[in-house]
Formats: sequence, C-alpha cells, structure tokens
Amino acid sequence: MNWIQQLFSRRQLDRDLAEEIRQHMEEKVEELMAGGLPRKDAELAARRAFGNPASLEEQGRDVWRWAAVEDFLTDVRFALRQLRKSPSFTLACILTLALGIGANTVVFSVVNAVVLRPLPFAQPERLAVVGAIDARRPEEISDFSYPNFFDLRKDNTVFEHLVSFRSTDATLTGSSRPVHVRAQIVSWDLFPLLGIQPALGRGFVRQEEESGQRAVVLSHEVWRDEFGGDPGIVGRSVTVDSQPHTVVGIAPRDFAFPPGDRTVGVWLTLGRDADSSTITPITKQRGARLLSALARLKPGVSMRQARAQLDVVAASLARAYPDSNKNMAKTQVLPAASALAGEAKGPLFLLLGAVGLVLLIACANIANLLLSRTAERSREFALRAAIGAGQGRIVRQLITESLTLSVIGCGLGIAAAMWTAQFLLPLVGDAVPRIQETSIDGRVLGFSVALAILTTVLFGLAPAIRVAKSDFQAGLREGGRSVTDNSDGLRGALCVGQIALGLVLLSAASLLIASFVQLLRRDLGLQPERVLSFSVDLPGKAYPKPRQLSFHSELLDRLASLPGVEAAALAMPLPLTGSQMHIAFNIQERPARPSERPSSDMALVTPGYFKTIGAPLLQGRGFTERDDDSAPPVLVVNRAFADRFFPGEDAVGKWIQPGASTGPGDPKMRQIIGIVGNARQSMLKAAADPIYYFPYKQLPWCCASVVVRSAAAPGLLEPEIRRTVSALDKQLPVFDVVTLDTILTKGFAQARVPVYLLGGFAGIALLLTVVGLYGVLAYSVVRRTREFGVRIALGASRHEVLGLVLRRATRLVLTGIVLGLAGALAVGRLISQLLIGVSSTSPLLLTAACVVLALTAASAAYFPARRAASIDPVRALRAE
Amino acid sequence: MKNTERKDLFPGALEMMVLQTLSGQPLHGYALVQHIQRNSNDLLQVEEGSLYPALQRMLKSGLVKADWGVSSTGRRVRIYEISEAGAKHLAQEVRSFERMLEGIRLVLSPVKP
Repeated sequence: MNWIQQLFSRRQLDRDLAEEIRQHMEEKVEELMAGGLPRKDAELAARRAFGNPASLEEQGRDVWRWAAVEDFLTDVRFALRQLRKSPSFTLACILTLALGIGANTVVFSVVNAVVLRPLPFAQPERLAVVGAIDARRPEEISDFSYPNFFDLRKDNTVFEHLVSFRSTDATLTGSSRPVHVRAQIVSWDLFPLLGIQPALGRGFVRQEEESGQRAVVLSHEVWRDEFGGDPGIVGRSVTVDSQPHTVVGIAPRDFAFPPGDRTVGVWLTLGRDADSSTITPITKQRGARLLSALARLKPGVSMRQARAQLDVVAASLARAYPDSNKNMAKTQVLPAASALAGEAKGPLFLLLGAVGLVLLIACANIANLLLSRTAERSREFALRAAIGAGQGRIVRQLITESLTLSVIGCGLGIAAAMWTAQFLLPLVGDAVPRIQETSIDGRVLGFSVALAILTTVLFGLAPAIRVAKSDFQAGLREGGRSVTDNSDGLRGALCVGQIALGLVLLSAASLLIASFVQLLRRDLGLQPERVLSFSVDLPGKAYPKPRQLSFHSELLDRLASLPGVEAAALAMPLPLTGSQMHIAFNIQERPARPSERPSSDMALVTPGYFKTIGAPLLQGRGFTERDDDSAPPVLVVNRAFADRFFPGEDAVGKWIQPGASTGPGDPKMRQIIGIVGNARQSMLKAAADPIYYFPYKQLPWCCASVVVRSAAAPGLLEPEIRRTVSALDKQLPVFDVVTLDTILTKGFAQARVPVYLLGGFAGIALLLTVVGLYGVLAYSVVRRTREFGVRIALGASRHEVLGLVLRRATRLVLTGIVLGLAGALAVGRLISQLLIGVSSTSPLLLTAACVVLALTAASAAYFPARRAASIDPVRALRAE
Repeated sequence: MKNTERKDLFPGALEMMVLQTLSGQPLHGYALVQHIQRNSNDLLQVEEGSLYPALQRMLKSGLVKADWGVSSTGRRVRIYEISEAGAKHLAQEVRSFERMLEGIRLVLSPVKP
C-alpha cells in the first residue's frame, strides 16, 4: 500500500483496528468466563491486560501516520490561521505574488510554445533548419537555389533527409468552385523526413520530382471543405492552376508544414518547378535562390558536424560556380524549433527577463512585509520558544507560512495567466510562428511551481534568518514591544536592490518605447489610408503571358471606372509587407564580375502605381502605358537607390543591367527614367531599402497584387471588385483582400505588443519599488516613534526630524540608482539589436529614468517623513 | 504498569515470533497471543498492548496481510497471513538472531584458562 492510498484509507484502517480490539477483548472475556470467572471480573482482567484501548488505538494510528506530511499539514493549517488574522497583509502578499507569478507564467508559456516546445514530429531534436550564408549579408540566413540544393542533398552524408520547400499560391478547381489555396512546393521526401504518415494515401515518391509529374497532397481542411471528406478522392485527379494533378494523399488532421503554418492547403512536388515556364526552369538556375530547407540529422550527428560538412560542399560549389556561388561558401544548420522562432526570440527572452525582474522586486516587497511582521510577532516566537519549540521548528513554521503564501499566489497567478493569454494572443495575431499554440502545459506548470518554490526561498529567507539569529528570551523579558529590531539593514538592502532592478527595467522600457516611437514617426513614404489590395491568381496554362497582360489591363481599366475609385495598379510585391525580391545588377559605367555586382530589392508595377499608393515622384518621369515590350527598357528607382549607388551623381539617365529575366534577350540594359520617394517595403527596418521598379509590361512575372485607391472607405469596394473580376472570368478566385492600413496595423502589432508589455512591467516594477520604499520608511518611523519623540522633546526641530527620515531615503535611493545604472547599461547593450534609431546608452533616456524613479521615490518618502516630524512628544512618551 | 517481568525481550523479538507463528498458519490476534503463550510453555506472554501496534507496523511495511474472516468460534476477526516479504524478513531476522545468540553464548561461556 503506498502512502497516498494510506492517507485516504486511514479512516477505514482506524475503524478496523477498533473493531479488532473489541473482538479480541470479548474473546478474552469469554475465555476467562469459561474458566469460571464472573463476567465483571473477566472484563476487568481483560481490560487490565490491554491497558488503555484508546491509547492503543492511538498507537495503531501513529503507525499509519505519514509524520512529515502531517506535521506539515498542521503547520499549513496554523499558517492559514495566522494569515487570516491579518487579512490586509495576506491580501497584499498574495496579490503581489499572483501578479508576479502570473506575468511570468504568461510570458513563459509563450516562450514555451514558440521556442521550447518540440515540433510535433518524430524525434524533433534531430530536425534542423538548413540555410545558406551570403558573405555580403552574413547576419541572416539566405535561401538555396535548386541546383545548390540538389548538390547538397547528393553530397552530404550527415542527413537522413534534406527537404526543400517554398511557398506559392494556387487555385484549386475540381470541386464546385475555384478556391485559392496556399501551397508549398516540396522535394519528395517531406513526409519521411517528418516521420508523418498521411491520414489517407501516401506521401510523394522520388519520381514525382521529375518534369511532367503532377502530384498533390491535400490538407485535412481542404479535403473536408472542398471534397466533403470523400476518401475516394485519393488517386483521382484535381485541377491545380489549370493543370490536372493526382491526389496521392491526405495530410493528417492538425498537420502543419512549414511548422506552425496552418494556412497551407496543398503540398505539391517540385515537378512543377522543373517545368516552370521560363527559358531555363528554376530547377536549373543556380542563381535563383528561393528555397528554404529542413533536414533530419542522422543519429549521432551534431548540428555542428553537419554544418562543417555542408560548408565543405558549399565551398567546393563556390569554387565550381564562382559566378553564382562565390559569396555562398558557408552554410548554417540550426535546431529547427528555435530557428523557426527566428526574430521573435529576442523580444521574447527580453520580456522573460523583464518579467523575472518584476518578480524579484515583488519578492523583495514581500520579504520586507514579512520582516516587519516577524518583528511584530517576536513575542509569539518568544512564547513558543519558552514552551519548548526549537529555533529550527520556528524557522520551519515561518517557511511553511511563506510557502503557503506562494502556493496561493501561484494558483491565482496561473489562473490569471490562463485568462490573460486568452485576450493577449489575438492581439499578436500570427506574426510569430506557433504563438497561437500557447497553452499552459506541464512544462509551464512546472515552471510556475518552480517559481513558487524559488519565491518562497527568496522572500522567506529574510525573516527566517532574522528569527534564527534573534534572542527570544530578550523578546520575552522586554515585553516584546520595544524589542530591538536588528533587521533594518536587511530591509534597506532589499529596498536598494528593488530600486536598482526598477531602474534597469525602467531604462530598458524607455529605450524600447523610444525606439517604437521612432518607428511610428518614420515617414513610410506612402499614404496607406484608403488603399485596398487584393490578389487574383492567373493560372499559367490558361493565361499565357500575352493573355495575362490583356487581362490585367482590362481589369485595371474596369476598376478605374468604378465609382469611388481614384486609381488602380498592379504591384509585386506589395509595399509594407516586408516581402522582398533581391536581385543583382550591373552598372554600365562601372561593370563588375557577376559575384562583385551590387544588388537591390526590386518590384514590378504598372503606370498608376505611385499615384495609387501615394509615393511622390521626385525627379524625371514615372511609367506610362507606352513603356511596353516594344519600347526601350526602363526603370524607376527610389531615393535610397539613387543615394546608395549614384552618390553625388544624377541617377536619372544612367543605364544598369538587372539580372532579372523572363524571356530571350534578357537581361536587358535599362535606363533609369525617374526617382520616387522611399515607399517602405518593410515597415520594421531602420532605414528604407533601395528598390528599383520595373514596368510590369516589360517584365510580366506572376502573382502581382492589385492596389486600389478609393475615395471613401476602401472596404466598401470589395463586392464591386469581386463582381468585376468574376465578370472577366468566373473561374478566378479573389483572395487576400486587405487594406494597407490593416497590413500596417498588423505589422506594428508585432512590434507593439512587446513594447506595451515591457512598459507595463516597468510600471508595475516602479509601483512595487515605491510601495517597498514607503513600507520600509513607514515602518521605521513607527518603530522609532519614541526616539523621535525624545528628540523633539529635547529640542530638535521638526525639520531636523524630517531630515533624518529623508536622509535615509536619499541614501537608499542613491545607492539603488548607482547600482541600477550599471545594470541598465549592461542590459542596454544586450538589447541594442532590438533598437531602431535609439542609442542603447542614450544619456537623455537614462537621466529621464533616474529622474522618474527619484521623483516617485521622493513622493514615497514624503509621507513617512512628515509623520515623523509631526510626532507629539508627550503622547509618544506616554505611550510607553 | 508495575509489571517488572520483561515480556518483550528485545526490539524485534515480538515481530519475529509473530512472523514465525504466522508462517505456520494464518491466525487472528487473539489466537496469536494464545499460540505464542502456549508454545513458549507460558514463559512468554504477549502483551496485547504491544501486539496490535506491532501488527499495524508489519501490515504497513507489507510483512503480513490481513483480511476479515470468521473464527472457529463464529466471531468476526481479522486474520493475519505472512506475506512473501514477511517470510524473507523472518529468515533474515532469524539468521541475525542466531548470530547474536551465538555471540552471547560465547561471551557467557566459562572463561577458558
């Protein structure tokens, strides 16, 4: 029987024992009576032999007691009684703790979901994100081209599988209506790599990578929504982008690949890319870098070993293909879960650190409260010591009280965390991968419980030390009231620590807030209000190039003539989305070898684009309808481009040759005909990136989005737009209908949420610090009432008494600020990467943080000081 | 109690005797007392006051098992039975007891010249 069962079945055991003893006695009595004794004597004799049955039962019970647990429970009961006796103290402690632990739990649960929780695939620790390192931009992971990917896959011995993936849009027909779906084009062994079995059918096979092969795996949702969950769909043909594809499998429910991305509806093989409609399919272009890669390491191979081997392959490719690979001689191999969290990791760990500091400050507050309480209870402790409680026993009791507080605070904190997470997560949206999977799982619970224990130690230690050191007898002799309280130093130290930590948080928050304000105040270079964008995917087979062009002209014409539409244009990619296409070019005046050429972001736009998004034309001219294939090849660049590549020169009129091609004769030498303002491609970057714009008619690539400027609220246009598109072709789904304002809001949400949270944490920290300081000073004034009374009676002026208290406060605050400044500078360096347009050592912000802290501290010190100064000496002395 | 006669000889002796008795047959508490008393020719008297705590201890550490049953006299009694662990424990105890006895005998034996 284990002890848990014992705890529960104890009552039964007790009953059994009592019954057994009763039967035993009767049996004995009967036997004695059989030997001739009268009943009375027999009963007496039996009882004598037994001793006291009650104490016997007691002894029996003792055997079953789980002594440590029950003593502990007794202590807990006592602790609860003690806490009930001082409800305001208890409430203050529990709320502070619930706040601290709750906030930590929320942040940790997000970190857990985004970074720590293993991916939902077989042996996730062996999954690695593999990427190229471009020597020109070594801080970020670059994509692979197909030929490079194939060579890495073939020549490595460290991976069981290496899978490429890239996202695209697709139109799915075959059920009732055409639908737009997100698609991933993957190399064949995706499912074996993940260790996932499709729910129906199979994954891809190697042959399906070949040219001419068309296989598709449907997501569970698409299968359910578009095909009614018909199991017979496997093996049948559906139409993806106007081409028949064989459905080979249905993905399991809740399957998400890329990990955390639940929007993907179909997985296609790279057979499609092998037939991409350019002169050279992209599977043969070594310079077309557009693949992400995921690998499964062979057992026993470390990330580092894998990277070392890939670097060897990459270096040999760099030697073999210098034109495309010279700068790509290095690779990166990172644990998949952590790598996928990407840029979200920095802010998350920053928040976790911040919220940890808040908890530390909260603990200091509670420790201070407990210290004061311990001093007040010294008479109780003295009494307990006098009746035989050892110091160890009293310390244990104190720690039990702390633990009880922690457990209640922790429980409330976890409940608060669950509640907070519910309304916090929608604010973040899907900007951070896997964040929507945030939940309170075992690891989070473990973390919170660990925090509860840690906090118990942190704030329970101070009073315990104080009790362990104190002389109880003295307490009893003096009546416990004016007992010397030697914990002032400890209290002061806690207070200094709080102020230091508070300053660290305050300065970090001020840096991030300032950085965010910079972000908001930056000129976006366009006017996003009243602009709506949407996409129509033209399947390549039904819409060869010329038909695409005529479809788009017709669409833009019809849109422009809608009432309320001011302008309409095509753009690829959309501004503000952070989506970038990076392409190298050659400047005619300064030709360079391919590997030495400069590169820039590019965009394809139609003539009305700059007017539609509200980007000003600064110099030269914009595109017109005449800039088509029969006209001279031209470009428009932005200000950043002109400044970066033609500093001090006039960029208009210069000739450059971008490496972009869609047909024979490319790439062409193109003349720059105009300069526009820096319309932002990515709103979160510090500076505007250089961009060159191609006239869409001269480079009609796929997947352009439509932007429409409306005279009224842009959302009202959506039905009209859908009607217009469907009038042109009923088979074309309209998707991604979104205003630029929404894109902007969503983009900022990613930056805003951590800033708000950190600001909130800093505010809480400030409040706790001030409350802590107030508590320390107020308590010391109460304790020194008699002393101040004597001083005043002996002729000290009120000002002098006021000064006594304020001087102590100043000493504490100044020490805290000095320590805090050192911490703030260190933390500033840590977070400097997250800052935009703000120096991590900004003297202005540091000073501001110090001043805010000092002012709030002054207000906290003022009231106790005034109370000290207004002590009535007569009453103070009489009170003794 | 003023009884000076030591009935529990040394710690563990009662346990050992109980286990030994139970290894013969399952018995209830009263019968155990009787049995030990009889078999020791009344030299040993088991004090009921220490029998039951001892039984509870053994029950808790799994040396014996107990079940309610009906005695030969038709009484509802708890019948104890030795468990496998109990048997092992008994063998061990007996061995160490014998070693101890051997030691005592050697010490008490007349000093050789």
